[in-house]
Amino acid sequence: MDMKRVMRDYFLDLDQAAKDPDRKVAWCTSVGPAEILRAMGFEVFFPENHGAMLGATRVCMETIPKANAFGYSPDICSYLTSDIGAYLKGITPLTKAYGIESIPRPDILVYNTNQCKDVMHWFEYFAREFDAPIFGIHPPTNVPEVEESHIADVVSQFEELIKVLEKMQGRAMKPEDLRRTCALSKEATDLWAEVLETAMARPSPLSFFDSTIYMGPIVVLRGTEVARDYYRVLLTDLKIRVAARVAAVPGESKRIYWDGMPVWGRLRSMSELFKSNQACVVASTYCNSWIFTDFNPDDPLPSMAYAYIKIFINRNDQYKEDYIRKLVDEYEIDGVIFHDAKTCPNNSNSQYNLPSRLRKDGIPAVIINGDLCDLRCYSDEQSSTVIEAFVETL
Amino acid sequence: MDSGHLYWGVDCGSTQIKAVACDNEGRIVEQRIGRTLFPLMEHVRQTLSAGDSGLSPLTDDQQSVKENHTLVATGYGRNHIEFAQATLTEISAHFLGAQELLQLDEPYTIVDIGGQDSKVIEVHDGRVGQFVINRKCAAGTGAFIEDLAHRLEVRLEDMTDLARAHDKEMTLNSYCTVFSGQEVIKILMHGERLENLIHALYASVVQRILEMTNIITGTVVCSGGVMNYNPVLLELFQQELPDNKTRMVENAQYCGAYGAALFARGLAEKQAQKFSQSELRAQSAS
Repeated sequence: MDMKRVMRDYFLDLDQAAKDPDRKVAWCTSVGPAEILRAMGFEVFFPENHGAMLGATRVCMETIPKANAFGYSPDICSYLTSDIGAYLKGITPLTKAYGIESIPRPDILVYNTNQCKDVMHWFEYFAREFDAPIFGIHPPTNVPEVEESHIADVVSQFEELIKVLEKMQGRAMKPEDLRRTCALSKEATDLWAEVLETAMARPSPLSFFDSTIYMGPIVVLRGTEVARDYYRVLLTDLKIRVAARVAAVPGESKRIYWDGMPVWGRLRSMSELFKSNQACVVASTYCNSWIFTDFNPDDPLPSMAYAYIKIFINRNDQYKEDYIRKLVDEYEIDGVIFHDAKTCPNNSNSQYNLPSRLRKDGIPAVIINGDLCDLRCYSDEQSSTVIEAFVETL
Repeated sequence: MDSGHLYWGVDCGSTQIKAVACDNEGRIVEQRIGRTLFPLMEHVRQTLSAGDSGLSPLTDDQQSVKENHTLVATGYGRNHIEFAQATLTEISAHFLGAQELLQLDEPYTIVDIGGQDSKVIEVHDGRVGQFVINRKCAAGTGAFIEDLAHRLEVRLEDMTDLARAHDKEMTLNSYCTVFSGQEVIKILMHGERLENLIHALYASVVQRILEMTNIITGTVVCSGGVMNYNPVLLELFQQELPDNKTRMVENAQYCGAYGAALFARGLAEKQAQKFSQSELRAQSAS
């Protein structure tokens, strides 16, 4: 299956849905309850994916300043400022990519603060702008362990959301529909986990920079057959590459773990930089964030609540440290690069002494300063010097 | 290896191009300096050809490196030096230079203040351990000192003597060159002595460096052009780190270029070994 086609079909269908009075569109955060929305018949749009597109195309460098001037600080999430700025300017990368005039108008906006609170401010802006209803899931955050009371809390919020959606659609939720979307998500996410695990092979058949592209369907098409089918094909292909010892980085000599967000506007040059240094980024916190193996179609709401609370970004620092150590071991990592993203402190895990704790136990770690979208916060020269020097020292 | 072979390191920094040539024994036989101006390659070629000895690593057409020379580039401009046979980051280059010049057995920390960045490099067991480069802002770099000297209309070469003539310790707080500039103007408006202000400026550079990482080794080695031009910085480091042995690497400005030259020597050695092994294999096969 061709990735470009999968994404094009998704966006074109979404565009059709937005123009069809009989279909409804929900906006959802990237680790929000897409399975519930799809089970209730909504087409789902993910503004973070749009933010990443604005970043990767570097169109954000025109749109972030627009949002800054409008009153959104340069220090807050640059997905938010990229996206709101694009809306203010009346532009979207979807036009160039798929001929779509604008982002789909939301019938409802649903966010989950399991990742950060900026998504709430972001969705609130658009709810005001489109005069659309908004619903927030507010789970307990930074938890060391997920407890029964946390699950019960989030399940009750899911139930409230379902009531709102039922009212909008004029029908009750069919349990079999939720079981189905949950099962499809589970299949896709298990396959995604296997896809990422192929990088345990030496040499690795894929790098972080490939995975940031491959991850499109697991973000925007969870709960659909398309996502599941895409990863089935991808996994087969990667297994063939592993068997044939096809390397993502020819001559792979160092294996790197990447923590934090990608620098979307520099994916290609970063990928080339690592390649030229024969270093392969084989594992990352970011791509692993869409592994939800705890989904259980026989117990959808509690298992979804558990999986969505359990995500890395919503855990305490000790959990994060243990998680990274485990992956360093499993993927035979030579060194860890922490991306300290200026506008994404929630997904920058270098700020509370974690790199120093890893180094103390002999795990080399280094920090680069940058950002997910805002290239004003990023220096090509400085980052490449740090990365190259780090690889030289490993 | 050819005993007449020369190994060149070119450290193409943000403000200056430094070039060092060494022989098989690692002895420095040439060192040159030029300004980083553009077109860059023109100025790199000029620097490489500028010595009184007339010695140049470049072929007559200046497009490539002569056969009995090996040239390695380091510094921010390293990837733009077209005829370089290899590149090396400044982190590794300063380490190699300092290690050869000082021959230290104990763990040590190199503090290198450059034109546009500062680095703190920990060395253990004769290899680089942890290293840190300053964050995005210019505070703690040569650019910061230059910018404020310019604002104060003081010649750079007079800055150290003025700082030494201070009679009061003051603090500049800001990370940011622009905010620091505003602080400076406010302090001057209050009638403060220029000497005290310049001393505070240097103290803030030292402070910014010490904030970058914990220095855990007993020995601190200062390197780089900014330290070379502003010796008061070494005095301030000594003052701030009374329990550490603080020393300046000799010829500090050329330390990175020298490290790159040593790397070039290692590179040539490896190539020579490879060549002799393949010759050996070819001989035994025949």
